[in-house]
Parts: sequence; C-alpha cells; structure tokens
Amino acid sequence: MNQELTPEEKEALKHVASKLEFYEEQRRNLIPILQMVQETLAYLPPEAIKLVAEHLAIFECEVYGVATFYNQFRFHPPGKHPIKACLGTACHVRGGDIILENFERKLGIHAGETTPDREFSIEKVACVGCCALAPVAIIDETVHGHMAPSKVEGLLMRIEIEKEMEERAKKKDESGQ
Amino acid sequence: MNPASNEKIDQIFDAIYKEAEKRRNEFREDPGPKIHIGLATCGIASGALETKKAFEEALDEYNIEARIHTVGCLGHCYAEPVVVIDHPDSGFPPIFYHEVNAGKAKMLAKLFLKEGDPRFEHVYGAMEENDLIPSVMEFARFNREKRVVMEKCGHIDPEDIYDYIAQGGYSSLVKTLKLNSDEIIKEVQNSGLRGRGGAGFPTGRKWELAKSAGEQEKIVICNADEGDPGAYMDRTILESNPHQVIEGMAICAYAVGAKKAIIYVRAEYPLAVDIVTKAIRQAIELGLLGKSVLGSSFDLEIDVFRGSGAFVCGEETALIRSIEGYRGMPRHRPPYPVQKGLWNKPTVINNVKTLASVPPILDHGADWYREIGTENTPGTAIFSVVGNVVHAGLVEIPMGVSLRTLIFDICGGIPNNKKFKAVQIGGPSGGCLNEEFLDTPIDFDSLTEAGAMMGSGGMVVMDEDTCMVEVSRYFLDFTQNESCGKCTFCRIGTYHLLKILERLTRGEGEDGDIELLETLSKDIKAGSLCGLGKTAPNPVLTSIKYFRDEYEAHIYEKRCPALMCRPMIAFYFDLDLCARGCDACATCCPVEAVFTTSNRKKGVDQELCVKCGECIVVCPPEYDAVRKVSPPHLVPYIEKPPEKKKED
Amino acid sequence: MPKFLVDNKEIKAKQGTTLLKVCLDNQIYIPNLCYLEGIDPPSVSCRMCFVEIEGERQPVTSCTVFVKDDMVVKTDTPAVRQLQRTALRLLLSVHHVDCKNCQANKKCELQRMAKFLKVGLKPKGLGIYLREVEIDRSHPFLDYYPNRCVLCGKCVHVCREKNGQSALTFSKRGFDTVISFYGVRDLPTPECENCNVCIDICPVGALALKETQKEAVPNLQGEEDPNIA
Repeated sequence: MNQELTPEEKEALKHVASKLEFYEEQRRNLIPILQMVQETLAYLPPEAIKLVAEHLAIFECEVYGVATFYNQFRFHPPGKHPIKACLGTACHVRGGDIILENFERKLGIHAGETTPDREFSIEKVACVGCCALAPVAIIDETVHGHMAPSKVEGLLMRIEIEKEMEERAKKKDESGQ
Repeated sequence: MNPASNEKIDQIFDAIYKEAEKRRNEFREDPGPKIHIGLATCGIASGALETKKAFEEALDEYNIEARIHTVGCLGHCYAEPVVVIDHPDSGFPPIFYHEVNAGKAKMLAKLFLKEGDPRFEHVYGAMEENDLIPSVMEFARFNREKRVVMEKCGHIDPEDIYDYIAQGGYSSLVKTLKLNSDEIIKEVQNSGLRGRGGAGFPTGRKWELAKSAGEQEKIVICNADEGDPGAYMDRTILESNPHQVIEGMAICAYAVGAKKAIIYVRAEYPLAVDIVTKAIRQAIELGLLGKSVLGSSFDLEIDVFRGSGAFVCGEETALIRSIEGYRGMPRHRPPYPVQKGLWNKPTVINNVKTLASVPPILDHGADWYREIGTENTPGTAIFSVVGNVVHAGLVEIPMGVSLRTLIFDICGGIPNNKKFKAVQIGGPSGGCLNEEFLDTPIDFDSLTEAGAMMGSGGMVVMDEDTCMVEVSRYFLDFTQNESCGKCTFCRIGTYHLLKILERLTRGEGEDGDIELLETLSKDIKAGSLCGLGKTAPNPVLTSIKYFRDEYEAHIYEKRCPALMCRPMIAFYFDLDLCARGCDACATCCPVEAVFTTSNRKKGVDQELCVKCGECIVVCPPEYDAVRKVSPPHLVPYIEKPPEKKKED
Repeated sequence: MPKFLVDNKEIKAKQGTTLLKVCLDNQIYIPNLCYLEGIDPPSVSCRMCFVEIEGERQPVTSCTVFVKDDMVVKTDTPAVRQLQRTALRLLLSVHHVDCKNCQANKKCELQRMAKFLKVGLKPKGLGIYLREVEIDRSHPFLDYYPNRCVLCGKCVHVCREKNGQSALTFSKRGFDTVISFYGVRDLPTPECENCNVCIDICPVGALALKETQKEAVPNLQGEEDPNIA
C-alpha cells in the first residue's frame, strides 16, 4: 500500500514540515496538526505521520492510533472529485442509501474507495446538516439537494464534460500559441 | 465591582454601541431597497449563492441602487433560498420570498425593485403587519414559535458584530460585569435553565459546582460537536448569530471564574468554524474579549477547536480527551468535568443552545424566562423537524407544546396525503413514538417517560411508508459505527444488535430474534460505560414496544408491511394502468431492468431490478402503474419477450 | 479504616482502596479483565467487575468504587451475574476458541471466568464474528492475535509504564478496534527484543513472541500495517 508520493505530494510534504514550526511541541496540538496535514496533502501518508511524530516527540503509533479514531482522517489519497453521500437520518428516510448505491454502481467502486484513474472517490458521511434538502450528496464542495437516482448520471456527466471542455480549451491554447 | 470601574465599563460600551447605532441608522435611512439573503449552509446548499449573484448582476444590469445584506438562517429550510426584500419606495412592507432561485431573483429585481410590482404569486408573506399583504405571522409556522435563542437568527449579518450590538447584543455581558459571580449564578439558577445538550442538568447548578472549586484555573467549553445525524440547530445558531453564543460563554466564564474558553465545533461544519473564528476576532478587536474585557478586571481568551468527526466526542469526557490530543474515549464519571476536566482543571461544558439562552435570561430576567415553557423545564426547545413533513426546518417552541401541535400545526403535517406513522426524537439515543403519544407535551421528563429523549433536538417524522425495523437498523448502524470501542457492551453488543436487525431486514429473521434483541438491549443499557452505549438500544426497544407487529411480520411472514426493506419487496407494473408505448420508466431505470412486453407495456426483470423506486417517481401520475409487493414472490409473472436484435 | 460487608463477610481496608482490589485481596473473586492497580483513571472497559451495593439502583463496577464505612456489597446477585454472563458471552462471540493451540491455555482469564460464571466457551444464541486477519506479524519480535484479544489495554499501559511511551496503541475505532504496532520498526531503539511486559500481562494470550528467529528478520512486506491494507 505504501505508494510512492507523487512529486506534488513531496512538495506538499515540505510545506507541512515548514508549517509544523508554528505548532508548539504539545500533545494538545496533535489533532490540529493532523488537520493541517490533511488540508495540505488531502490525506495522511506514512511520511507525514512520521514527521508529526517527530515534531511532537511521540511514537508514530500514538499518532496513528489517534488519527484512526476520527472519521475525518484518511490514509489513502482521495479522488480529484470526492463524492460524499449523506446518510443522515433525514437522507436515509428519503432514500440516501439508494443514491449512494447509484454512485457506487456508476463509478464501479465502493464507499471509501477511489476510482483507478483517481478522478472520483466516494465517502459516506453521517450528516451534513442539510436535512430539509434530503437526500443530499456533496460533489467537490457543492451540496446537491433533493437527489434522485436519475440525477446521479447527470452530475457525473457534467464533471466529465467540464473536464473535456477544459482539455479542449487547453489544447486550443497550446495550438494557438 | 466598584462603581468607578462600572462607570468605565459603561463608558467603553457606550462608545461601541453608539458606533453600532450609527451604522444601523445609516443602513436604515438609506432610502434604497434592501435585499436580505440567507446564507447559512442550508441556504447555500439550496443555491443561495447563485441567487445572490443573480441579484448582483441584475442590479447592475437594470441600474438599480440597492443594498444586499447577507444574513444567517431563519430556520425555514423548506423555503430556502429565502430572500426578504425591503423596498420602502414601493409602498409595500418587507416581503418574504421563498425558493428564490437565480431566475426568480432576476425577475424580482426587474419587476419589483425596478418597476414596483411585488409579484404576488411569489410572495410568501409580509414581515410585518400591514393592509396590503398577509403577514407571515398569520401562519402557524411563524406565530406558534417562541424565539429566545434564535430570535436574531436570520435577521442579522453574522459576520458583522455591530449588527448584533445594535440589536441589544453584549448588553447582558455589560450587566454581568457589574454584578458579582454569585448574583449571576443565582439568576441563572432562578431561571430554571436546564442543559440543552440532552441530559437536562440544571445549568446554574453546574456553574455553581465549578465556581466552588475555588481559585484554581478553570475552563469553559461550548459543546458544538453536534453529531446526531438529523440535528443541525447548533450549526445554524453558530452560522447565524455566533455572538450570542460567545456572549453566553463570556458570562459563564465570568460567573465560574474562568479565563479560558473553547468552542468545540465539528470540522464538518466549515462555515460555522469560519464564522465563529471571525466573530471571536471582532469581539477581541472591540475589547469584548481578551485582556481586561471592557476595561474590567475580567480576562477571557476563547479558542476554536475543530472536532474531527467522532459522535462519541459529544460525551463530555470524550470531548475533553480529544482536545487533549488523544483518542476520544470516555472515562468513568465521577470525577465529573466540573471537578476534574480538561487538563485536570475544573471544566464547565455547556451546549450551544444552553449558552445562547443565557444572554436573553440576563437581559429580561429569570422570571421572564420562567414564564416560558413548563414548571420543570422553563424556556424553549429547538427542534430540527425533518423527514416526511411539509414545513421542515428549525422550530423554536416553548417547552410543553404537544408533539401534535408541533408536527401538524406548526410544521404542516405529512406531505402527499400520507398517514403519520411515527416520530423519532432524540436521534440515535432517542426513541420512536407512535400516534398514541402525539399529545405528549414536549419537555425533558415527559419525553423520557415515553421512552424517547429530548436529546439534541433531532426530530424525524415518518409516514406510513417507513419501516420501523429498517429505521432501527439504520440507527444501530450509526451508533455501532460511532461506538468508540472501549467497553465490551457497546463495542460488541451493538454489533450483535445490528447484525440481527440486518438479518430481519433481509428476510432472514428467526424465531426468538425479538427476545434476543430485547435482552441484549437491556444488558447493553445497564452495562455500558457511557451515554452512547446506555442509550444506543433505545431505538430498538421503543420500536419493538410500539411496532412489534412489524418485527413479527418480518420474521414470520418474511414481509415488510411498509414496503421499504428492499430484499423483501418486488416491483411490477399494473398492466391495466400501464400506458402502451410510454417509456418513462424504462428510460430512467439505472440498471435496465424494465422491459417492453409483446403488447408494448412494461415488465420488470426481477433478476436485474435493484428496487431503487425511480420508476415510481417518473411514472406519469395519470397512469400511476408501478406497484410494490412484499414478500417478493407475490409479484405477478409477466413474460419477457425473447431478446430481439435492435435493428433501428 | 473503613469497615464494611461483602457477601456478609466483614472486611476492613484502607481508605482510598478500590472495592475490587479489597475483594481480590480477601479471596473474594470478582471477574475482571482490564483492572490493573495504578491505572488512573481506571480503564473500566471490560465491564465484568460488577457488584451490587445497597442504596445503588443497579450494579456498579467495583473497580471505580472506593471502600466506605458501612457499605453493604453483594458480589453474587442475579443482576450482577446477568451482566457478567452477557459481557463474557459477547467477548467470546468475537473470540477464536482454540484453547489447545493457545499459549494461554489453562491460565486464560476467559477460561477462568467461563468456569466461574458457568458459561460455555462457545456461546449459544449469538453469532460468531471473527476478524479476517488472524495474526498481525508486523512487529519484529511479536505476533498479535486480534481474534484472541479482549482489548483490555493492559499491554499499552505496561509498555508506557516501563518505557515512558508505549510502542503499542489502540488503533481504529468501535468494533474494528485493534492493538497496533504502527511504526515500531522505525523506533530509535528496538527495546522490545529483551522486554516481555506486554506478553506477560496479556490475560488471554493475544500477544506472543515470534516462534522462529527467521520470522523476526524484518522484511519489506511485513512492514505494512495489515490494519491499513
């Protein structure tokens, strides 16, 4: 599982190291530090856990034990477009699990996984607090309320199209230059 | 406090208040129209940012001078995005518009702001009494509420401290600083305020216990780790009026003698985190927090701690562990946090709603607060009423209102002509109540007696199409997932409950399962270490108690009476109703399970069908041909014609 | 010195001692797994050491009660036994019962409690749920058997006591909680080689020395934590 870090990730890890300087060597900073690391790297690779442990002068397993306790922390890189299917009570009553299933089927992955091309990942979330809009799914940072199975395909298609358009624009740019 | 310093406090605050007043008057006296847009998470989720952008573009396009005022949430989630337009020149009072998407925004800008036509067909109501437009106060959703905590939510800009101060904000803190701490605690005790986090412990008593710990350093924590998957009032309050919470914290800190306070907010609420952080900064800038608050001898530092997503951290000892940087596992109480809390210092932990109740109490007095609500539970309750209900959203009502009034009068009852079946109160720790309990008054004691629980105020209304076994399974799935894993009963016991319930909803229940659920539940309640385990079986126990027949149908008839458990149902099309040649269902089916029969009607390939129900949604209402049955073998056989090669 | 009654027997003990310790010292057996003198606050996680005390509504854990004058304690009431038996059956429902191949055979706390509470080692009525990973071999000198572990946490505690920091930790959460040696290979000094405290304290044989030295040779594959994969 220990994948090599990508060049961008290695760069980000350096950022992490420099940001760590702002945190005092105190146990109470462990969770804020882990949050900072994840915001910088999108997940907690073993290299980062090691850095954090060294900074706080605690064993890596302490860091790991705390990180694995909380839902927020990931140990695998998420997709470029993370999809969060809300399974809060209101969403559940209104068929949130069916929405989740549709995403899983369309992308061919399960919740907690990332597509092989690293474009999409699916996560279950407990409640994003938009219960009156149930069922809800979040793609990237956008909340989509009143989801229906038939909307799933459209949303994914939109992202694909946007990506294609971007690529086309890029090509145009390049050929223009 | 000596009179000299009292004078100084007044002096400093007066200057701040004058500035706030000046700003308010400038805004008020501006003759142009004002557009108030709700920009809390729920508003944004419904597209309020696009609405705002559309207004901005339209103002530009039509050359209209108008101000856009961003506010928090009014609690009317069913109506989001909500916009209130105040256009004095038009002669109309401020008007409440609901579901204002970008198109509507543009239209309103042109027709109302530019041409003076309020477009009555889109008007929800007027914000004040007048002769032209019915006021929103004529609706039960507005007039039956009693807003204490949420009074200013949706009316002020949460990112502008002056907006809060101009409406009387921070005057309770000023009052506090001039009294001694015993007087404050006495007032809170007299008000009868009970903790709104779920357990209902008397707040004044908690403060007194912390104060009596003596001179040592103390800490105040505002618990905004709202984890109940169906409750979001804490988030709304923090996003809509953060200063009322901060003011409450400051009063609490002053009363118990703390110099440090922490707001523990879920990291899943990024907007709330931003707004609270900003609010604290503004309060420090004005001298309302920090060293020597308003020139007094009282210092207070408030930090924001982002909780990393663990429901169990709503439990106070677990919350403390997580701030300390450890796994958020609860410990045995006593000692209670007020004796030995964060970093072993006496710690007062209060919920957002509790702290937000404090400034109004000190402002209007304990007697005023006691007048609201019931004898044993004065004050108001905030519920997020969601599920199968017409006017979903946040409702603040006086304690003692009945469930019937809340669900049917205030929230408009059940949509789509369905029947009420149950209401789940208190989230995963609460219980499901049936129709018999609709007249139960809402307060801590009555709900607990009925087997539910006030909890954090999550309320899910369920109609006849909701399966109670499935709902129990859902809640157990949640608590099982969120169990910290420390103690045997919760870690393994809830897992067994979940596995049994999963079997039932798959149609694999066995004789004896109900009894096993009951005994295990009772032991888990008695044996667990913390509140999570002690209450986790509640949804199971109450649903068995009030809906036992449904459990029995699942076990003995392999039937789901509500037609919800997917492994136990099947879909088919009623051929008498199905329209020849209509392809609505076939087009939308995500798994291509719908086939066309030899006479061009539809059938369902049961092998392929995933029972998502999308065909029900899209089947044109004039045909309404989709049927569900349970158990699945009752589905009529419809012949699938042999696959033809598509030639066209 | 408080004087009180346990199962009608008069006992005297020093102020500030826990009821559980006093009972154990006086040959009154109360089933327990996670209790260890000196863990403060006590773990109270195994939920076995229940007793009834006059005046309390329901059974309480004896490891959290300090002895008091005139308290009346019963260790053998139906309510106490009910909770203890259920807790034990729950523990056994996630336990790989294979005593004859287990190093803890005959000194295992689970066996002792099962005998004492008259509970079969293969509990009836409850499903058995074992973890996929039978042995975690990621430690250079130890093996960990998640399907034996009762998560009492004694190993984590004693390792911390002895070494200042613990090389073992709880990882993950809820039903998935396990003991993990994450990062142990990177520790500056592999103290584990000559230290057996965690193995010795384990009440159920969930930690064991690697059998052959061959296994102890660190290989790249073993470096992965099976819990992440």
